[in-house]
Amino acid sequence: MNFYLTYVLVATALFAFTALFTLFALYSERKISAFMQDRLGPMEVGKYGSLQAFADIIKMLQKEFIIPSSADKILFTLAPIVIFVSVYLGFAALPWAPGLSPSSLNLGLFYIFAILSMETIGILMAGWGSNNKYALLGAMRSVAQMVSYEIPAGIALISAVMISQTFNMQEVSIKQGILSDESILFLGVWEVSSIGGLLAWNIFQAPHLIIAYIIYFIASLAECNRAPFDIPEAESELVAGFHVEYSGLRFAFVFLAEYSMMFLVGMIGVILFLGGWNTFLPNIGSVKLSTWTTGMGWGIFWVLIKTLLVVAVQIWIRWTLPRLRVDQLMSFCWKVLTPLAFLCMLISGIWRLTMM
Amino acid sequence: MSAEQLAFYFFASLTLISALLVVCMQNLVRSIFLFFVTIFSLAAMFVFALADFIAVTEVVVYVGGVLVLMLFAFMLSNKELLSGLQNIAGGFKFTHLAGLLICGGMLFLLVSAISAADVVNLSWIKNGQAISENDNTIHQIGIHTMTRYLLPFEVVSVFLMMALIGAAHLSRRERRS
Repeated sequence: MNFYLTYVLVATALFAFTALFTLFALYSERKISAFMQDRLGPMEVGKYGSLQAFADIIKMLQKEFIIPSSADKILFTLAPIVIFVSVYLGFAALPWAPGLSPSSLNLGLFYIFAILSMETIGILMAGWGSNNKYALLGAMRSVAQMVSYEIPAGIALISAVMISQTFNMQEVSIKQGILSDESILFLGVWEVSSIGGLLAWNIFQAPHLIIAYIIYFIASLAECNRAPFDIPEAESELVAGFHVEYSGLRFAFVFLAEYSMMFLVGMIGVILFLGGWNTFLPNIGSVKLSTWTTGMGWGIFWVLIKTLLVVAVQIWIRWTLPRLRVDQLMSFCWKVLTPLAFLCMLISGIWRLTMM
Repeated sequence: MSAEQLAFYFFASLTLISALLVVCMQNLVRSIFLFFVTIFSLAAMFVFALADFIAVTEVVVYVGGVLVLMLFAFMLSNKELLSGLQNIAGGFKFTHLAGLLICGGMLFLLVSAISAADVVNLSWIKNGQAISENDNTIHQIGIHTMTRYLLPFEVVSVFLMMALIGAAHLSRRERRS
């Protein structure tokens, strides 16, 4: 029976992590946006407003559940749960450190990709269940956007998988550092298996993956419904999109899902392109920086640092770029990102056959 | 009863009940969303058969594709068209006879086919290799699609290409002459 207890503990730990991350991201998003707009941001609650996120959560927990009288009650109630659970389940296959992965699936990436497509159903449930035209419009926009941007994101990820030759996220990470049992070639020419560090990351093993990563990053912004792809939420046109009718804890779940999604897509990108839990410090002669900084604790540290940096870039972009129009959004996806992603996939195949 | 068996029966009954409800429910949107439950529990059944790749592919194709398409079709069609579908009166009518006959025939066909097959004693089940839980099934699937099943694979891809070209042609703006 012991392993059932482990399952529950791991699941609880991951849930606690998503909740903590959301609190942290909430505060940092407010502070970063304030910095970028030359304001102070939250300053009242705690030192430098550091307890602001907790105050927000307490406020949210106290609020009443309001169900609009003409809403479809079952769909309306279930939607936030479906949205959050679909993102939360994705965390199951992500490796945190060498030998530390909640579930080391052979199909890891494919599984995450499948689970994330569940979120669209949850959003449509919310939009339809609210019986509000803004919510429905927001949901339709959101789903159209997520379904189209899944294609460039998926193909960019596939081009990295073709280099690593596995869907298992743990093995993808192992193949980008000194723990790899295969030889790693920097830019396809220089043997760096024992040097590791930055040079062994996927984007430097095959430089066209830098383009693939940029494509994936842009598409992942669209999948999180973040600016500049936030037309589903467009405050100025749609009030707040699909979650306009939600209040209290249910809104908190939608919110939790959005921030967990940011972390999740960031971490997928980090694992597949930026070395996962591998350190960026290389071994230089007898100064074995890479060997010293690889291990259980270090793995968690590196993957967290890298992913938080990616999340910071997502926040930075949100507060810098204006929103795209619907037609710009679609033509950008289908006419720019998708062909480029296909090109990356083609180069990956040739690279794998000739250079590795 | 072990935990696996319990989980199996749970998902099996969930599949059957939700599939029945999908057909019987009056509210069309809810029945589409229930279809999601059916698909998911069916994917769980595939996992029990150690066909994890098929389970995940089913979720990708049906949840990410077909279900979203159905919802879009539903939400973009007009209300009068759907009201005829939604308000079907209960009770037996003579016009329902054809449907009943077809369903009964299908059921008879399925049951007789399963009982005739004698699944336990098939030679390829008795003598075939069994896969274990930790086998990497995608390697096998990949090797087999590119060698033994290459022709069907290529035929499917040509077929999909045809569908894509057809869709592009249908949605193309007519040139005014």
